[in-house]
Amino acid sequence: MPARSEEELVEELKREHPELLVEAVIHRSKRVSIVAKREKILELARLLRDKYGFTHPVSAGAVDYIKEGRMQMIYYLMNPETRFMLMLRVDLPRDDPRMPSMTEIWNAMNFHEREAWEMFGINFEGHPNLTHLLLPPDWRGGYPLRKDFRGEGIRP
Amino acid sequence: MSEPEVKPEVMRISWGPQHPMSGQTRILIDVDGEVVRRIIADIGFTHRGIEKILENRTFIQGIVPIERMVMADTANIALGYVQAVEEALGIEVPERAKWIRSLICEMGRINSHLYAFGLQVECTGYFPAVFLWTTVDREVLLDLFEKLTGARWSYSFFIPGGVRADLPEGFRDEVKRAVKYLRRRFQDYWDAMVENPLFEMRNRGVGVLSREDAIRLGATGPVLRGSGVDMDVRKDEPYAAYGDLDFKVITEKEGDCLARLKVRFHEIEQSLNIMEQIADEIPGGPVRTKVPLFPRSKPGVEALSRVETSRGELGVHIFTDGGLKPYRVKINSPTLRNMYVFERLAELDRVLVADLPVVLYSIDPWYLDCDR
Repeated sequence: MPARSEEELVEELKREHPELLVEAVIHRSKRVSIVAKREKILELARLLRDKYGFTHPVSAGAVDYIKEGRMQMIYYLMNPETRFMLMLRVDLPRDDPRMPSMTEIWNAMNFHEREAWEMFGINFEGHPNLTHLLLPPDWRGGYPLRKDFRGEGIRP
Repeated sequence: MSEPEVKPEVMRISWGPQHPMSGQTRILIDVDGEVVRRIIADIGFTHRGIEKILENRTFIQGIVPIERMVMADTANIALGYVQAVEEALGIEVPERAKWIRSLICEMGRINSHLYAFGLQVECTGYFPAVFLWTTVDREVLLDLFEKLTGARWSYSFFIPGGVRADLPEGFRDEVKRAVKYLRRRFQDYWDAMVENPLFEMRNRGVGVLSREDAIRLGATGPVLRGSGVDMDVRKDEPYAAYGDLDFKVITEKEGDCLARLKVRFHEIEQSLNIMEQIADEIPGGPVRTKVPLFPRSKPGVEALSRVETSRGELGVHIFTDGGLKPYRVKINSPTLRNMYVFERLAELDRVLVADLPVVLYSIDPWYLDCDR
């Protein structure tokens, strides 16, 4: 399996799997973004790992775009051969932020998804252990990294 | 974290968070006699919400809180943030400033690796003196930091657009003297510890992580390189002055605790070489460009900067919305990735209870970095 450069990856994905993507862009050298459709994300993730060699999970996190009413979950991935940073993104509606868990594809997303769950309230379906990671186990104060979070009056 | 169920044939032990060797975290261990069947890391005791704090600070104010992530290695952490700010705001950095940044980053790396080395030796239970040696020897570096930046720790020396001050008079000679002294000391460490059969016995073949598992589980830094993967951001994606400097990426193929220790040891040697090169070849010129005190961002820009800290790759992803403060800062911390590897190690290799501190400290955990 030949390793693909940034341009080759983006072109091939657009040509062969347009039904899985919303868009694919190269920001600058070594930074590639792919926005996936929420219902197709597992299929695309499996393709990226098995066909394109993105076997090295780096991290994952979310951004809350409150004005647009959406949240974006970002998975940072790397291919040990080509070593550019691939950001696999999914847009989620803010009133129903749920998506399939990536832990069955990249085990190591376990911690990162737990963090996104407690900080943003994104529900990962099929996650083996969706419990608090950084916050106390009895935390009831809401989702701290959401933009409408107010810290006053919270007693953990 | 709520505790998962215990199987009837094992006993669960809670180690930490108030134990001198566990650090500020709790580790649940399921043991079957002497053998560890399962490790569960309960992190989050030092969670301070740095990502949220950064959303409420201007771009330059953010340097101070983010440095508190890793005190032994503040230079590398701050550089990750400052580079992301520079990319998001489109700020150029003069050549000399980049070289000074690399110099301080390498000094920070030695400082941090010394601490890790001292702790791992302490964990093996043999030589309590070595931790004191490393603590004394890092004074040499701390004195240099003080002379250059005015502070021994958390110096906030990097700012968007360059560094705060130029090298003081005679600093290059002092760097060379320090390198000479440290080289001699590291030879002593190598002879006394790494070549020592008792120390080797406690570390060789313990906590083995194979190359495939290291990649699959997302290990980073010396843990990844100790398993034979030559990934180093300084080489893969040169930043600061690393494109012009001559150094090697250190790997060891065994993947055990000794391999990870050796990687750190040889990295210190490479860092000393880099320090000497910079002292000899640093170009002249200005050390900072003019940047307003409260720079305003453009809306909808994002910048991801990657740096190689002493624990592995740090990523700082900044999103802007056109204001004076970042809209969101995502920090990809290296220790969080390595803690997951540590959790899985009991399934990959036969880990004994007595070896657990060695295995934990061979990944060089820094919980403030892990929890942010």
